[in-house]
Amino acid sequence: MKAIAALTESFESTLEIEKDGIKDLRVKAFEEFNKTGIPTRKQEYWKFSDPSVILNIELNHNDSIIDIDENYDLILCNGKIVKNQIKSKTGTVSEGILNGLVEKDIFESKNNPFLDLNNAFAINGCYIDLEKNSESTIRILNLVNNEGGEQAVYPKIIINAGKNSNTKIFEEFRVSGKGTNFINSVMNVSMDRGANLEHVILDDYADDTYHIANIYAKQKKDSNFISHNFSIGKKFARRDYNIELKETGANCDLNGLYFAANREHIDHHTTIEHIKNNCTSNEHYKGILGGKAIAVFNGRIHVHPDAQKTDAIQNNQNLLLTDDATIHTKPELEIYADDVKCTHGATIGQLDDKAMFYLRARGLDIDSARRLLMRAYVGEIIEKISDNEIRNQMMDIMIDKLPKGDE
Amino acid sequence: MIKIKNLHVEVEGTKILKGIDLDVNAGETHAIMGPNGSGKSTLAQVLAGHEDYEVTQGSVDYLGNDLLDMDVDERACEGVFLAFQYPVELPGVNNTYFLKSALNAHRKYRGESEIDAMDFMELISDKIKLLNLKESLLKRPVNEGFSGGEKKRNEIFQMAVLEPKLALLDETDSGLDIDALRVVSNGVNAMRNEENATIVVTHYQRLLNYIIPDFVHVLVDGKIIRSGNKDLAIELEEKGYDKIIEGIKT
Ligand SMILES: Nc1ncnc2c1ncn2[C@@H]1O[C@H](COP(=O)(O)OP(=O)(O)OP(=O)(O)O)[C@@H](O)[C@H]1O
Ligand SMILES: [Mg+2]
Repeated sequence: MKAIAALTESFESTLEIEKDGIKDLRVKAFEEFNKTGIPTRKQEYWKFSDPSVILNIELNHNDSIIDIDENYDLILCNGKIVKNQIKSKTGTVSEGILNGLVEKDIFESKNNPFLDLNNAFAINGCYIDLEKNSESTIRILNLVNNEGGEQAVYPKIIINAGKNSNTKIFEEFRVSGKGTNFINSVMNVSMDRGANLEHVILDDYADDTYHIANIYAKQKKDSNFISHNFSIGKKFARRDYNIELKETGANCDLNGLYFAANREHIDHHTTIEHIKNNCTSNEHYKGILGGKAIAVFNGRIHVHPDAQKTDAIQNNQNLLLTDDATIHTKPELEIYADDVKCTHGATIGQLDDKAMFYLRARGLDIDSARRLLMRAYVGEIIEKISDNEIRNQMMDIMIDKLPKGDE
Repeated sequence: MIKIKNLHVEVEGTKILKGIDLDVNAGETHAIMGPNGSGKSTLAQVLAGHEDYEVTQGSVDYLGNDLLDMDVDERACEGVFLAFQYPVELPGVNNTYFLKSALNAHRKYRGESEIDAMDFMELISDKIKLLNLKESLLKRPVNEGFSGGEKKRNEIFQMAVLEPKLALLDETDSGLDIDALRVVSNGVNAMRNEENATIVVTHYQRLLNYIIPDFVHVLVDGKIIRSGNKDLAIELEEKGYDKIIEGIKT
């Protein structure tokens, strides 16, 4: 267990940091993590994705930064802020907590050891406080840089969306340098009444990267959280969304597109807690898998007894380009209210032969015909992005990254 | 232009075409008529290159080349165009984008550069007029939610843009109202010249009043049992297939 030894040593060295301000919270989080450690496949939610592979690498915490300036409003390098041009109040996580803009409850353990672990290393990170009635578009680069070797990084972004604020966030995850990375990222969103937040995230391909991402959002009355999640395969990627619709009239849209090829492994678990009445959720995830890729989609919708008049839609579609690619898709509905509308569907298919013939009969070669059909397939998700510029950018990127069948 | 010799075709072990011989020269229009299930669409699909159909015997020479040796897209780029009996819906594929991709595929095959955006728009607007196509159809996904007639019109529209050498029109008339039949036929006629050829598959003599064929062939149970000029279509319309088949047997 050299991984755990490195982890413990890394954690202990973070305790020497002065002016941390949230040491006690971090220590508690690390204790919580140690109760279970890294989960194994025996746990239901890890059945198809074995996180113990992470233990094969040395989990040396690295928060060293490099000098980088690109056209983003905020750049985090290995979890640390290196560029910040956001007009709203921002700072490190501990600053957010110390001046009362971030609630301590983000440190609560939620039976998720990866959340605890991220909390234990919350010496950097970033909070963004979006003032009430504000309008903004924010571009974030979440960079992981490796100078060579094995490292663990814990990026954390906390977003407070004030009353009736209106925000678009484009976030890019990128890996640079070389070496093996364990990225354990967390984003906490809390949305006040009437807040609107559209979050586009692009998690780009990198070899030798194990990425576990957790997104938590809690929503108050009439708030609207729109997420567009673009995941391009990794050695091992797991991204979880946990949404709590805590007050009446809240809505969330979870849109997703994932590509995987070769022997990549990509797993999405989403949970939507319909806690109060008249909330809506709309989930649409699509995947394209080639090579011997494995993908997992688990969509849980939990309708609490108070959540009458819930309207929840879930849809997961998968396009398999090879016989060797695998998808495990599972809806999980738990409904404890009687007056609810809940629909779900999952499909697994290949490119339509009839459509392929039609396109080829018009002169398109096999490769162009496939790309045209895949373009149409992914377009359905990408078109949901409201911002023209971001939408066009995502279209170009995703078309460029379309998996090839035989890889 | 195309010489079909003793063509035998099977699908999943069932014999469908049982020895077709057909010669079509440049400048000619041939009509193929025949009862349901006789193999008309099969012939059209095989010529277009559909891989579900297995050619077990025979040969097809197209402009001096072995057509059966070419891929589907190669045939298309060499000028073979099939107007489908049942055009395929392509959800999410914009009709204009599709047309441009098809045209550029042909141009690339010929070693030409991609068409300039302005030239393309000009070409499109010419062909739209020719076929009296609703412009809104160009902005929609290919064939999705199109009415039966709109789909057929869209096929001929594609043909007008791609300007094939050999057009195979599989029941292009079915689903068209009387006015549309006239417009589409006029469109097809306007494209006819000494350099290209057309094979029309139809059930109705009516179409042949507009697109006047040089030859009419009757296909029954995978074989051409009779060939003649346009009067054969009139005879068929009057007597029905049974009488013609009987006439052959006795
Ligand atoms: N892919 C296929 N699989 C199995 N049978 C097929 C297939 N395609 C065609 N057939 C059969 O071959 C025969 C000829 O079909 P085809 O579509 O060529 O007839 P057709 O002359 O065009 O008829 P119609 O006038 O109804 O359009 C039919 O019996 C049909 O069921
Ligand atoms: Mg037919």
